[in-house]
Amino acid sequence: MTDHLRSLPPLLEADGLTKYYGPVAACEEVNLALQSGEIHGILGENGAGKSTLMRMIFGLVEPDRGVLRMEGEVVGVTDPPTAVRMGIGMVHQHYSLVDALTVWENIALGESGTLDPDRTRARIRRISWSYGLSVDPDATVRDLSAGIRQRVEILKCLGRRPRIILLDEPTSALTPAESKFLFNVLLTGVRTQGWAVALVSHNLDEILRATDRITVMRHGRVVEQFLTAQARVPALAEAMVGRPVPLRTVTASFEEDEAARRLLETDHLDQELADPPPVPEEPSPPVLEIKNARSTTPDGRKQLDNLSLTVGEGEIVGVAGVEGNGQTALADLLAGLLRLEDGKVLVEGRTAPSGVAGAMTGAGIAVIPADRHRVGVVLGMSVAENLMLGDLPGMRNRGFLRREAIRQYALSLIDEYGIQTPGPDTDLGDLSGGNQQRTVIARALSSSPRVLVAHQPSRGLDVGAIEYVGDKIRAAAQNGIAILLLSTDLREILSLSDRVLVLHRGRVVGEMTKEEFDLERLGLLMGGTEDRRQDDR
Amino acid sequence: MSVPHPPSTRANPRTAPSLELPLMYAVSVGFALVLSAWLVAVTGHAWSSVGQALLDGSVLAPGRWGNTLTVSTPILIVALGMVVGVKAGFFNIGQEGQLLMGALAMALVGTKLTGSGPVLLITGLSLGLISGGLYAGIPALMRFRRGVPEVISSLLLVFVAFQVIGYAITTDWFLRDPDPNRPSLAVTSAALPDSIRLPVINLWGNQFGVGFILALLLAGLVALVMGRTMFGFKLRLLGASSPVAQQAGVSIARTGTVALFLSGAAAGLAGAIMLASGASGARLTAGFSNEIGWQGLLVALLARNRPLLCVPMALLFAALRTGGGFLAAAGVDRTVVDVVQALLVLALLVPPAVQYLQDRRRGPAWSDTGETP
Amino acid sequence: MNDLPGALADIFTSPAMYGSAVRLGVFLAFAALGELVAEKSGTINISVEGSLLAGALGGALAFDSTGSLVLGLAGGAVAGTLVSMVSANMSHRLTADQFVVGITLNVLVLGLVGFLDATFRPLGGKAEVVSLPLLSDIPVVGEALFAQTWPTYLLYALIPLTWWLLYRTRWGLEVRSVGENPQAADVSGIDVNHRRRQAIYYGGILAGLGGAFLVLGQVGSFDTGAVGGRGFIAIAAVYFGGWTLRGTLAGALLFGMVDAFRLAVPVLGYEVNAQLLAALPYLLTLVVLYFVTKRFVQPAGLALPFIRGGF
Repeated sequence: MTDHLRSLPPLLEADGLTKYYGPVAACEEVNLALQSGEIHGILGENGAGKSTLMRMIFGLVEPDRGVLRMEGEVVGVTDPPTAVRMGIGMVHQHYSLVDALTVWENIALGESGTLDPDRTRARIRRISWSYGLSVDPDATVRDLSAGIRQRVEILKCLGRRPRIILLDEPTSALTPAESKFLFNVLLTGVRTQGWAVALVSHNLDEILRATDRITVMRHGRVVEQFLTAQARVPALAEAMVGRPVPLRTVTASFEEDEAARRLLETDHLDQELADPPPVPEEPSPPVLEIKNARSTTPDGRKQLDNLSLTVGEGEIVGVAGVEGNGQTALADLLAGLLRLEDGKVLVEGRTAPSGVAGAMTGAGIAVIPADRHRVGVVLGMSVAENLMLGDLPGMRNRGFLRREAIRQYALSLIDEYGIQTPGPDTDLGDLSGGNQQRTVIARALSSSPRVLVAHQPSRGLDVGAIEYVGDKIRAAAQNGIAILLLSTDLREILSLSDRVLVLHRGRVVGEMTKEEFDLERLGLLMGGTEDRRQDDR
Repeated sequence: MSVPHPPSTRANPRTAPSLELPLMYAVSVGFALVLSAWLVAVTGHAWSSVGQALLDGSVLAPGRWGNTLTVSTPILIVALGMVVGVKAGFFNIGQEGQLLMGALAMALVGTKLTGSGPVLLITGLSLGLISGGLYAGIPALMRFRRGVPEVISSLLLVFVAFQVIGYAITTDWFLRDPDPNRPSLAVTSAALPDSIRLPVINLWGNQFGVGFILALLLAGLVALVMGRTMFGFKLRLLGASSPVAQQAGVSIARTGTVALFLSGAAAGLAGAIMLASGASGARLTAGFSNEIGWQGLLVALLARNRPLLCVPMALLFAALRTGGGFLAAAGVDRTVVDVVQALLVLALLVPPAVQYLQDRRRGPAWSDTGETP
Repeated sequence: MNDLPGALADIFTSPAMYGSAVRLGVFLAFAALGELVAEKSGTINISVEGSLLAGALGGALAFDSTGSLVLGLAGGAVAGTLVSMVSANMSHRLTADQFVVGITLNVLVLGLVGFLDATFRPLGGKAEVVSLPLLSDIPVVGEALFAQTWPTYLLYALIPLTWWLLYRTRWGLEVRSVGENPQAADVSGIDVNHRRRQAIYYGGILAGLGGAFLVLGQVGSFDTGAVGGRGFIAIAAVYFGGWTLRGTLAGALLFGMVDAFRLAVPVLGYEVNAQLLAALPYLLTLVVLYFVTKRFVQPAGLALPFIRGGF
């Protein structure tokens, strides 16, 4: 279906798009051709420039150089409304819906002309009917699940009758079934309406499954292009990373691909997940125990709903689940940021009060947060100060900071954890994401914790750094630290965990040991389907 | 281990040497001055005579620079308190009221208690400090108990404080001066006894209160505490990221209350010092605070919360005030000084903001994914 | 004050008190309505105090020089807008801290108004009372609401207009969205900072009108102390109302009532400590804020500057 179209001028063509942020090239001389009737996968690691490219095409980022052509004609896309007028639609990764507004208001947002609620509602019903994306126009977005939100997002995009659709990591918050549904809608549109679709992902399987053509980006440049039919995993992985990658690492590095995994029934990566054979663990007394934890958001939604779990000494317990099902609340709880309405947290049998400053840290819980800029590091403070954070013994003398001791301490951690920085006094904000993450890990592990909570520890990191994080977590477990790994990335969970819990709407809805790993059951549990085996009992 | 990725560090645009910033400061301050001059001109005065009057009143005329130092004292102290609050992430802007509370405590000690001068003086200063701090504790309570923004509550409390002072000085059993022979007809408190005064330093024909030395020491102390102690580190940590602070064992409510208390305490101390240095004839009056609280706040903002930088800024503001006293002779209303001052403040706000924006455009700090800017 | 219930009953049954409550409430409502729009867009616009004062002076000066009440009100609106323009552009173009900007502007306006007042000595004047036929005959509230100076009715028109703008126009939708989630609004193609500036301008116009109303529709003369911190009470009214239009108006009316009570007490011959009365509006506002603030969810983007890509 792709070959006969190659002679036509592409529906949309990016020619030499370049964007610098300071000395760093986010995109450099990027060429990309989107053909009508094709889904074009754009693959690359985090930081490869995929999102910047999409944002330039959609008019959100002004390119330093380069032009866009539509059907051969040069066009200037200066802002999103212009893009929409020219038939470009975009489904964003985050941030594009306003929680406090209703569905119809969100869909009307960014359009032009008089605001007409009734016509907008009618239009939403019409489009949702034609794509089978049913949604209540008067529902408030705040009350919707991640899957329905994504639906609204897509309706918002489709409602403007785009010919070109840009999707930026669209499946990151979807269950497998929802992802499959999304790709069906896209495929229908591509076949019947002749859409040109750009699908941005760092997920190899998803790209292989859903696209006709693949462009691989690395360090802001297009490094290779493939026809999907001819593409092979090792070659794609090598193009992404820039060096041959052992397949084990590949499997560990591609996030959130449960969706594509379910679509790919014959998965060539499957066997890789099964080994190495698990070392049988002796049941050990729990180091971390959470009992019947309950909490509610200020606007009355349940975050944690009677959640209980235990983690034993040296055990890695993975918590799987679709984003937004209580992971952040759980991590916040263990960071001492959340006060429980009911239930308690015990470390080695002793209660650690929730929501009390420093109590969790004091009880021996260290956290590697998902959003390190919110809870992990302090931009604007130095690397040394970030490594110290808190009142470490030996760092002060009669209330005064012992600056030399702090410096030495920082230097030793910088060395031990391989943090690349000009020095301990550099502002942490000037370090790369990977090195900021190393700083977080260094601080977490250097406090000799009894429990380590790792929430999406490899999000936004490149392959090398992901490998590093995995090694550190395994090593910590070897040293007897109880590890709670919260991740939406099933590969990460499966490759590291001894036991997996599934989180849904703030509750643990299922549990399986390493021997019982069953992807299909995991997927169903994550989507909220009741655990059949529990019913059988 | 090896990292296959590109430069993990890069030139920091914020510290890159640049002529732009000083230039921007020059332009925007120049603009503010021209605007002020224009304002003076359209109201029919010569701006050069205004400038001369300001200079005479603040420095050149005999005894004036000592006066300027005295005036700068409470401004500087208020500013230092503000710095502590803002560094910890709290915006107490009710200094005008807290200052009055400090002065009230001093006046009570001075007129109601008997004892030796120095003892009363020190008691008064201490109680002034505490009552300013407690008054700032109300916004702290409202903020940490109920989530009321301290910006609004501290502001509203200023207006309550005015009435408290009004009540104090009009009520016989409280502070009202019953003496029919008092120098002014206005209702005031009784004067502080002469024994309760901060010593005055005489230098080259100028006089200034020892409070100024105290304020300078305080500036050094604040710089030291914020930069070099664990306590200061915790305050800064709280201001930079409250979740990280909470995790590290810095209680938002407790440390925040301390920060707000300190910012109010500084204002209270400033008020007590003003009274003990003989401001308004060492009497509590209706207009006693005289916008010193506001000015201290602005000084802190202009100094971008650097304690030592507060010193020259406070001196500048004080000079504009004392210079303003000479304006009447030039036939210009002294309120023009307020205008010049505020224009200067606005002008000084612009360059760092522009600089910040330029940095953002040049390159975002590494964000989470490294690419979604 | 021997018979407190009797005295209170006396005060609260006095028709004059309600008329005065409406007048004072209207003054606050002008500012609070504008502040509501600004806060919906994500700004706590402290400079509303400055806009009110500037509006009062602008109104008085414009009335003095033209003799026209309409032009007087327009002059107030212009003056209020000028202040809000500085505030909006400093906060949402240069992204300077909005509190810093607001405080500075209030000091600037206070100085400027003092200076211009000393230079020009504005007088001001008072609009006539217009009783609306039929409406003013409604028992109990009719006279208080509908037998007022005519600029009062301007507010009555502005209430539905503001509601319509906020909830029925695309502009209002965009204003609400930039206050709730500026990133989402941005990727939806809305110029976030532009909308925020416009919302502040709207707040400036209304506060300016409110200031002019104070001089021309209520007091009848200009005084530099006339506003005296009531801009901050207008902000409190928005908090009181939980960021709803109805609640904000209720807040303005409640605080107006307290103000009226304060004025009515001595007029009706009761002796209450003058300072306590003067402090009452502020004290009550504080108490109300203490009990009310936690009950509402504020706009999620309130008081946070927006820079594309920033958080």
